[in-house]
Amino acid sequence: MTILDRPAAAATRPAVVIEQLAVRYGDGLTAIEGLDLEVAPGEFHAILGPSGCGKSTLIKTLAGILRPVAGSAWLGGASSYVPQGASCFPWLTAEENAAYGLKVQRVPKAECRQRARAILSELGLAGSERRYPHQLSEGMRQRVAIARAFAVDAQVLLMDEPASSLDFQTKLNLHASLLALWERRRPTVLYVTHDIDEALALADRVTVLSPRPGRALATVDVPFGRPRDSRVVRNFPGYGALFTRLLELIEVNQ
Amino acid sequence: MNRRGLRFAGSVLLGLALPVAILVLWETAANRDWVNTLFYPAPSAVLERSWDQLRDGGLLRDAQVTSKRLALGFVFGATPAMFVGLAAGLIRPIRTALYPLATALYVVPRIAMLPLVLIALSIGDPARVFMVAFSVFFIVFFSSLAGAEQVDRTHLDVARAFGAGRLRQIGTVLLPGALPALMSGLQVAMGFALIVIIGTEFMASNDGLGARIWHSYQIFDFPSMYAGIMAVTVLGVLINGALLAITRVLIPWRHV
Repeated sequence: MTILDRPAAAATRPAVVIEQLAVRYGDGLTAIEGLDLEVAPGEFHAILGPSGCGKSTLIKTLAGILRPVAGSAWLGGASSYVPQGASCFPWLTAEENAAYGLKVQRVPKAECRQRARAILSELGLAGSERRYPHQLSEGMRQRVAIARAFAVDAQVLLMDEPASSLDFQTKLNLHASLLALWERRRPTVLYVTHDIDEALALADRVTVLSPRPGRALATVDVPFGRPRDSRVVRNFPGYGALFTRLLELIEVNQ
Repeated sequence: MNRRGLRFAGSVLLGLALPVAILVLWETAANRDWVNTLFYPAPSAVLERSWDQLRDGGLLRDAQVTSKRLALGFVFGATPAMFVGLAAGLIRPIRTALYPLATALYVVPRIAMLPLVLIALSIGDPARVFMVAFSVFFIVFFSSLAGAEQVDRTHLDVARAFGAGRLRQIGTVLLPGALPALMSGLQVAMGFALIVIIGTEFMASNDGLGARIWHSYQIFDFPSMYAGIMAVTVLGVLINGALLAITRVLIPWRHV
């Protein structure tokens, strides 16, 4: 069963169109099969599902790291990527990490530096530009990885559980900074998580994936307004009902 | 002095205590004839002999000769080993082709190859330099291979996702990622190189610190033998210190 609740403003061309996508690993394991998904420009879209349902595989495929065996995935612009886990380059300072994508795009050095510094300071890392990742806290390192992805001004941001390694408080702070940054730039975001609270705190819509091989079970609208205070999202009317609905979608299909 | 400074000074003192105690005991033993000073001359006598030999230039000349052989052999051995090792880490068929032979040659005691090398190259500096290069090659090969293989997949994924081409992935991820393993390989290799050059000079050289030690031993000039051993030790400490300093400069993210 695939429910695609199209958002009200679906008149514009979508930013991400995925049709009947299938991804298989070398050992024959089918991670994704028959996955359909459409994401509107500027939408914050959460991909929710249990571990091992192919969420990371989906993001890696969209990031161009894995190749699909069938179907298609189309992105309406340049993308950038925040992988799961520790991903900052240990040999680069926070500023050099944030500027990595720009450097690859051969942006002049001075501009790299200036744009990296601007993003870092927007993420609350002013003063830590010259520190190496091992001199930063886990939360700060994840901010650097997010800064690296935002710095290139990509239209589509692919984020794979960037907050999953953080403690609760640090996670809340990261969500708030991430949403503030997103509000100012409004890229399309695909945000993979296994955490229902996180999906509801951040996203405009949530797509639930089935267990392996992953396909889209349902896409649910999150009707909380913008700009949204992610810290108090649990108090919004309808939160409990939405949470239960998503939980049931995950559990029934397990 | 702050707390850290005090702790550092304390650990230096503690580290010096044992060697100083041994030297004092040795000196006392020699002065009181507890040991035969023909074979075990007092440290002061060894120092005196070192000083004499430094002044007449002989010790320095031999140290230079040995250093030159070491340096040449190290560069000739380590440079290709680095490239071949990284290439083997990157390209599967190269690894598959080289791994069995490299493993076999890696376990052969280097000095056991000396007669063969002398047959092939005859006694001379090319043979001595080759011995060093040969002993260094496989250690550096394996360490750079391991370094390349240990590079974090996630970091390569990030580079690819940001559109870095093959060369950029190598330059911005593979090389810095492999560098720590490579540098520790170079340090180990230098230790081996020192053993091999001294051993080679024992058996197949008329100059160099190894020849000086061996020659002194044969003519029962034991203070000179100890002076030679001390010179080799100093050389080893200096080279090791230089390598550590280079490592610190090249890998700042590990130390700051």
